[in-house]
Amino acid sequence: MHFAYPPRKSSNPPPFLPRSSRISTLRRNRIKFAAIAGLSIIFLIWLFSGGKTKHSPQRIITGTPPVVIVTAFEEKTVGSEFIRNAKSNRREYAKMHGYKTHLVSAGDYDLNGSPLSWAKVPAMRHAMAKYPNARFFWYLDQNSLIMNPSLKVEDYVMSARKLESNMIKDLPVVPPDSIIKTFSHLKGDDVSFVLTQDKEGLSSGSFIIRNGDWAEFFLDTWFDPLYRSYNFQKAETHALEHIVQWHPTILSKLAIVPQRLINAYSKGQGDLYKEDDIVVRFPGCLFGSNPSECEEEAKKFLPRWQKAFGLS
Amino acid sequence: MPLSRSPSPIPGGGWSSPGLNINSSGQSSPAAASFSGPNGGNVTWESARLKSQGVSGYPSFSTQNQGFFTRHMRRISRSLPTFQVSPDQYGEKEKLVRSKWNAPMLDRIRGIAARIGRKWKIRMLIAAIILFCYLLFWLTPLGYHYRRTTWLGGGQKFVIILAANVGGGVMEWKGAREWAIERDSVRNKRKYVSRWGYDLEIIDMSTKKRYAHEWRESWEKVDSIRNSFRKYPKAEWVWWLDLNTFVMEPSYSLQDHIFNNLEKHVYRDINEYNPLNISHPLKGNYLDEASQNVTGDGDPNSVNLILPQDCSGFNLGSFFVRRSDWTDRLLDIWWDPVAYEQKHMEWEHKEQDALEQLYTTQPWIRKHTAFLPQRKINSFPNGACSDNGMDPRIHYNQNDRDFVVNMAGCEWGRDCWGEMYNFRELSYYLNRNPWERFKEDLIAVIWFKLTGQKVKL
Repeated sequence: MHFAYPPRKSSNPPPFLPRSSRISTLRRNRIKFAAIAGLSIIFLIWLFSGGKTKHSPQRIITGTPPVVIVTAFEEKTVGSEFIRNAKSNRREYAKMHGYKTHLVSAGDYDLNGSPLSWAKVPAMRHAMAKYPNARFFWYLDQNSLIMNPSLKVEDYVMSARKLESNMIKDLPVVPPDSIIKTFSHLKGDDVSFVLTQDKEGLSSGSFIIRNGDWAEFFLDTWFDPLYRSYNFQKAETHALEHIVQWHPTILSKLAIVPQRLINAYSKGQGDLYKEDDIVVRFPGCLFGSNPSECEEEAKKFLPRWQKAFGLS
Repeated sequence: MPLSRSPSPIPGGGWSSPGLNINSSGQSSPAAASFSGPNGGNVTWESARLKSQGVSGYPSFSTQNQGFFTRHMRRISRSLPTFQVSPDQYGEKEKLVRSKWNAPMLDRIRGIAARIGRKWKIRMLIAAIILFCYLLFWLTPLGYHYRRTTWLGGGQKFVIILAANVGGGVMEWKGAREWAIERDSVRNKRKYVSRWGYDLEIIDMSTKKRYAHEWRESWEKVDSIRNSFRKYPKAEWVWWLDLNTFVMEPSYSLQDHIFNNLEKHVYRDINEYNPLNISHPLKGNYLDEASQNVTGDGDPNSVNLILPQDCSGFNLGSFFVRRSDWTDRLLDIWWDPVAYEQKHMEWEHKEQDALEQLYTTQPWIRKHTAFLPQRKINSFPNGACSDNGMDPRIHYNQNDRDFVVNMAGCEWGRDCWGEMYNFRELSYYLNRNPWERFKEDLIAVIWFKLTGQKVKL
């Protein structure tokens, strides 16, 4: 039995076969156009709505001068000879490294009857207004002399690497047993406030502040009239201890460094000055002790700093 | 009848035939009792056979046209694909060249479409797109998500904190009125928030007992603002609202009402309205220029705290704070034991007075604080601040459609619930939709004139 072969494929195809898919009836470039148009509309929406996100603009600080040295002099407590000496000491140091100085009299500021030692806070604020582009402000008490002019503050103390290695972590802010301790994980760049401790507590005779919004906030807070009227025993120093312990936004910007880094003492309750330290302070002058004693002490260092600066 | 598989016989008689359940609707089945098939007496095949023969136990009025399948057979089969042999290919009739879906409905539509001109096609397409968008955005949650997204509607940038449960807790009993106030206030904020895609954080103020030993009741505001910033990481602005507030105009978005044009709505120079007589700007030979300027640095982006003032000074019943380092610092410094120890006898309004104190003495606060005209977010009812009569800067006016009303101080000698109820009803009345307006302002009035009867439609 012989079956027929299955029929072959037709050799004359039907003349008008419909297109295989309906989508291709739309012209391809028209689809492309629609896609591009849609994407560009979304992009425009994103552009115009995203562009409006408002962030308070961070002021750019150029760093000229890099450091401003601030001192508020209480003319009544020490002799004019001493003051002239201290001023020229700071000016010489500033000239060497291109810094600026802001040397003012404590009486320039209206303190509403609170102790003159408070003047350091508005003096710092004043320096910030005067040099808005400075990177650091170094408050150095009048009873101190810069002894080692070769050290630049912004490198020697304030560079992030140095800070990270120097800052004392997990240290009770007020010795010996405050439960508030310095942060143990703090980056050098986040530090805005560097100071030291002596045997009695925080020392506000020499500290460095990084310029910025935080500095304004900190100084204004410190200068709050309610702190000035509270009769803290050590005035601004105890007010500082208070705000550092009660307000974490301040504690989180603070680094305590070894005392001799910026605050070596010539004698008394603290780490004592050794050769090549940047600064020597005379705590004997503090708190209304005998001015002549203070000047005696300073005289010992007079030839030494002049020699170090190459002046004599 | 097309079957996917042939019916198979079942022992005991009858057929298991899934496609043939035609004894379902409205037919009589006289054979049910006489034959017990697999379906528990409902003999499918048997009844179908009887039916197809027209033999029925009760032949009186049962027609051929009963049951779903029989009734819809034609329609169903018509929608099934059919094979059509194209007429010009009669040479190869056994070969099915093409098959197509050939539903008459579709054909008809195609015919209509072919007859419509191109212009009308485009118009209809546009109409369809509009309809589609309407469905998409108003009937689905897509519109809500659009309003929330930070880079589209931006609703996620705003968090409303509502202080609830004031005066609750163990020590003070809450009566029915207090519960009703709370319910209405919360519902009002919920509605507002869901309309614009904001977030609502309801704070239980009864936790203030936690702060009592530190003498810092009512500073928990600070903690709840801080928590909200943590809880809603995309929030830029936090809007604090007291419980006794009512959003009168839910159709105002915060963006439109205030934030899109911040510099236009706020004032930074407190001398514009200065009930506390704070001397502004601060003067000091040590201050920078921006701190001594009446408008700070003048940049609207540097505003971090926006609050209204009432007749007695700052009002913290309704205010905005922005997420920023500045705000962190303010919240941190707001309560200080040394300040509190000296001032707690004078500070009747606690955190409000503390803020006034900070504003007065600290330049860094002034630079970033701005004020809103009170009626922008915090209109008072007639009972509050009314010692000097009505003040257009303070009191609510329904003709101006004020945004929010704050029944401040109603718990001292005024009727909180009564005020809340009145404002709620007023808000509903002012925000009637067009249909309600048509009914109540036109039909009901006409009816009243005609018949002298008041009707509620």
